[in-house]
Amino acid sequence: MANVQEGPVTKTDVVRAMWRHIITLQWSWNYERMQALGWLWSMLPILTKVYKDPEHLKAAMRRNINFFNTNPQVGSPAIFGAAVAMEQQENPDVADSIKVGLMGPFAGIGDSVQAILFRPILAVFAAALAMNGSMGGPLLFVAAGIFWIALMPWQFWLGYNQGTNLVQEVAGGGRIQRLTEGATIMGLVVIGGFVPSIMAGLTTPLKFARTLTVQGKATEKVVELQGILDQILPYMIPLLMVGFAFWLIKSRKMSPVKILLILTVLSFITAALHIL
Amino acid sequence: MEGYGIGMALILAVWSYIAIVTTLGPGLWWGEALICGAVTGLLVGNVQVGLQIGATLTLMSLGMWTYGGATMPDFMTGAILGTAFGALKGGSGALEAGLAVAVPASILMTQLDVLGRAVTTVFIHGADRALERGDIKGITRWHLLGQIPWGLTRAIPVFLAVWLGAGPVQNFINVMPEWFMKGMTVTGMVLPALGFALLMNMLPIKKYWPFLVLGFLLFAYLKVPVTGIALAGVAIGTLYMSLKGAELNG
Repeated sequence: MANVQEGPVTKTDVVRAMWRHIITLQWSWNYERMQALGWLWSMLPILTKVYKDPEHLKAAMRRNINFFNTNPQVGSPAIFGAAVAMEQQENPDVADSIKVGLMGPFAGIGDSVQAILFRPILAVFAAALAMNGSMGGPLLFVAAGIFWIALMPWQFWLGYNQGTNLVQEVAGGGRIQRLTEGATIMGLVVIGGFVPSIMAGLTTPLKFARTLTVQGKATEKVVELQGILDQILPYMIPLLMVGFAFWLIKSRKMSPVKILLILTVLSFITAALHIL
Repeated sequence: MEGYGIGMALILAVWSYIAIVTTLGPGLWWGEALICGAVTGLLVGNVQVGLQIGATLTLMSLGMWTYGGATMPDFMTGAILGTAFGALKGGSGALEAGLAVAVPASILMTQLDVLGRAVTTVFIHGADRALERGDIKGITRWHLLGQIPWGLTRAIPVFLAVWLGAGPVQNFINVMPEWFMKGMTVTGMVLPALGFALLMNMLPIKKYWPFLVLGFLLFAYLKVPVTGIALAGVAIGTLYMSLKGAELNG
């Protein structure tokens, strides 16, 4: 696992810093400096060992309470690991530049992996299970949380051992990009299938009577609109709804809350008119 | 079912506190609407309504994420309150009654999320002062107590709503007219459209739309079950990646 460097800092200190970071980084998250205080508190086991002089220690702490914000589960442990290694080598400038330089790129990678690829696929799957009354739905989310936490120590040691190499690894990320692309495609296939399956309940009860003349006799026949729609395009109403919401976001630049209100009003009106 | 006592209000408040703080760190995802719905359902004795409300809120939230610390509707608190009040109604109208509470609660709670994130600023200033004194214990205290504004901005509303709100909310639920129930049913089915649309907005649809159509036809025309579609997605994604890799390597 880890090759802890020589010096006053012991392996226990490094491990303690790692767990402080993994568990509490965001506990004091605030608008002003976001994850800054969590970062400092996690770094304290290292700083208090490296800087014996109180004034030097204060200077080091001031550096470590500067603004910091990135994805806490994907990225932050690696950045912190690299910074710990640099602080331990009394290389404060490098530690600071790793921190400032990597928080943006890692926030981008981490947020797209979790928010655009991982969570939606999991969520749609889990919701489908839960709709059918299965506890498997919420348990999938529990497993997801454990999965990401399990990857955090690994990221920390990667950052710790790689140090400044980490920066190059992230900068030249052709492999990461290809992986993201493959996962995007997987996501799109799944979403394409889930739109009709999740929203299958959206059908219209509208019927209309038609007079047909069969062998010279006029007969009344009730035609269900849904049947006709299904012949044209199955799941047409769900598709129209998603298309409408998408148009509101894309072309009208509306906020999610506004769209939510519009869709709610639309639902009540169509329900009252017995259209849906 | 009768309203809830102070005991249940307290238990749900504690759960909401734990759920938000463990979501902050280490990131247990217990704040997910589906988990909160199921846990609340277990506590109040109606798991089914918890699962349904959690699932509906989850689908609404598909494309949402707290990018860079942005505020989004608080589906966690919405799921807890919606499940608690939906279970009070019980029976066939439980989901509709629960959603009628859950959706507005999720939106109103965004104000408290902003409050929690703002109040914690006091804590980092406290830590700044402790730092200048060289007071390591003080820094530790300010940091670890930073969870309190986060937890209480969820726990207090949950406590008050479940304890005091049962009466008024229940009265409302009991007299819910037919048109309102029907409206909520349709709303529940329509709202996932928002989640899907937000998600599509985040993805490079223009470039990759054929894959979306592929998924649709697998379900709509070929009747492939959802697990099958997920497997097809893995296969197609991997295939695309290896073909692209081969192309790059000449």
